[in-house]
Amino acid sequence: MAMDSILRVDMSDLSVRKEPLPAKWAKYAGRALTDAVVFDEVPPNADPLGPDNKLVVAPGLFGGTTAPNGGRISFGAKSPLTGGIKESNAGGQMSHALARAGIAALIVQGAPAVKGALYVLKLDESGNGSLMRADELAGLGNYDTAAALLAKAGDEKIVTITNGPAGEKLLKASGIAVSDVKGLPNRFAGRGGLGAVMGSKGLKAVVAPLGRGGLEHADKDAFNVAVKKFATALKAHPVSGQGLPTYGTNVLVNVINEAGGFPTRNFSDGRFDLVEGISGETMHEIGEARGADMGHGCHTGCVIRCSRYYNDVDGNYVTKGPEYESAWSLGANCGIGDMDAVAQLDRACSDLGLDTMEMGCALAVYMEAGKLEFGDSDGALAALKSIGSGTGDGPLLGSGTEAVGRAFGVSRIPVVKHQALAAYDPRPIQGIGVTYATSTQGADHTAGYSITANVLGVGGTVDPLKSEGQAALSQGLQIATAMLDSFGLCIFVAFPVLDIPEAFQAIYEMASAHTGVPWDTDMLMKLGRETLTMERLYNEGAGFTAADDRLPQFFLDEKLPPHDAVFTVSDAELDSVHDFVAATAADMGISVPKLA
Amino acid sequence: MRIELALYASLQGYLPEGPPGSSGKRSRIVELPDTITVGELAARLKLPDQPRISFMDGRAVTDHVALHDGTRLAIFPPVAGG
Repeated sequence: MAMDSILRVDMSDLSVRKEPLPAKWAKYAGRALTDAVVFDEVPPNADPLGPDNKLVVAPGLFGGTTAPNGGRISFGAKSPLTGGIKESNAGGQMSHALARAGIAALIVQGAPAVKGALYVLKLDESGNGSLMRADELAGLGNYDTAAALLAKAGDEKIVTITNGPAGEKLLKASGIAVSDVKGLPNRFAGRGGLGAVMGSKGLKAVVAPLGRGGLEHADKDAFNVAVKKFATALKAHPVSGQGLPTYGTNVLVNVINEAGGFPTRNFSDGRFDLVEGISGETMHEIGEARGADMGHGCHTGCVIRCSRYYNDVDGNYVTKGPEYESAWSLGANCGIGDMDAVAQLDRACSDLGLDTMEMGCALAVYMEAGKLEFGDSDGALAALKSIGSGTGDGPLLGSGTEAVGRAFGVSRIPVVKHQALAAYDPRPIQGIGVTYATSTQGADHTAGYSITANVLGVGGTVDPLKSEGQAALSQGLQIATAMLDSFGLCIFVAFPVLDIPEAFQAIYEMASAHTGVPWDTDMLMKLGRETLTMERLYNEGAGFTAADDRLPQFFLDEKLPPHDAVFTVSDAELDSVHDFVAATAADMGISVPKLA
Repeated sequence: MRIELALYASLQGYLPEGPPGSSGKRSRIVELPDTITVGELAARLKLPDQPRISFMDGRAVTDHVALHDGTRLAIFPPVAGG
């Protein structure tokens, strides 16, 4: 089996057609492929929730193979939150399932003729699919939806993509859930409101068999050698080999708090007085005491195994993680210093299908507006549940951070391109500020994770409190990340890749052996630049200008304790981040896509 | 001199005896010689021979940096998240 088909699902006439992967897209997978489809087929001025938008789901190049940590899956569309191109990727098992069925991309287009009708797309092992009416799933949370689909599948081992009530309600803070190794819908393409795009298509879920075996390789022996080399590097690096497996992502709470860059109570402080209650160390101790699953891969083939579950006092599963970003957004950013409370908020977001980061920022702005007290976890949970019920301020909260801030006249609204920031304040950690400001995705830490050299001492050292070197750091990371996202590699492979030359070599050796095309360093970086170039041109067509590549003014004006830092990277430096786009576009022979 | 020492994640077991600091069980107030560097303290604590992430009063420091009376030093093993 090779990943050489497109499955085109037209919700307007309920047709599901398998097409050969066009030659123009054959060199792409994952993020590059979702970008290429959106670039080629969705006019930049399309209504994100209208029939002209398309939801594209694409495994990375290494989907369905044994490439370590190669099972990420990309979801792309025009974002209803940012108004620009969006790629949000997730773990879970669907990358392997689609790849093993030979599907390079699932393209969901059109809109159902019957308003309110819901459908489930069911795939088989050959990559054929059919739509089934599923109105009975209306309003169900992700957990009940996945459970119903699993029950219906009986003994068949299936993987699910599900859309929660927030997506059904077309809310801009909605994300899409992918089932993990145990079938739980807890891995998310959370950012950018893609749940609303799925909801606008009337698609409640996708069900696919996990499938068996790996894909064919051009050179199986060479592939296996490169896989071993990559796995060895991942295990040898202290971060991917020890730190992440032992403590998970939430171990970062104390690190960033110590650095004075832990956004607290809506970005008003860089340290959280109640940090101990939500730290990774505390979460680890709670997990051990309650017998929680303390480390597993979110997809088959993960060797880092940073995923974990959170149990209640009776030892029952509550939610995954919570991951660092969620512990921060729903914890410190809301002034909540209790891990059990954070876990309940995380569970509510997961079940409703809400981006925990967008919601944590929306709730914090809501608190700053005086609608709730900072630290009121019961009030925060009730507010989240009002999104599901559609009552009170629920619809507003589910519309995201900026909508809430504007509705209540809050001046400190932490968004770029309408998307909420992540768990690092850009004033004392300026490299991540460059990424927030300039990313095609809106504020997105994963787009160019400058925390590496700014704080963690990985891939060199750049002083986080100064502007020097931040633009170059972010540019390099944004290009490399676009490549990793296209290969379906977990971003955490970046730690060994930045420090161990063999890890980087193993990536292009795996790609060469898998595809038969001789990849090298230049080609990897070219893929990253091409991916970003499609995104930048698309956003230009959607109306974005240099003025959109800026942080909110309060980051330049308000000093953040404890370092009393403000963001000092100049506009010219920010504008230099995408200095490669014009030349890359010329090489690719593309320009700003036409409006409809 | 007297400093506040915080050790996190897999380093917590290396925390010496002493009155607790501002980070509860993760930190201690410790008495040290007047001239000692981060690296010398790490050796004295018998921390594992691996890369570390160290912050002195919120700023990243290398092993060569000398400690001062009243400072807070936090040391992490190589960890990351995101």
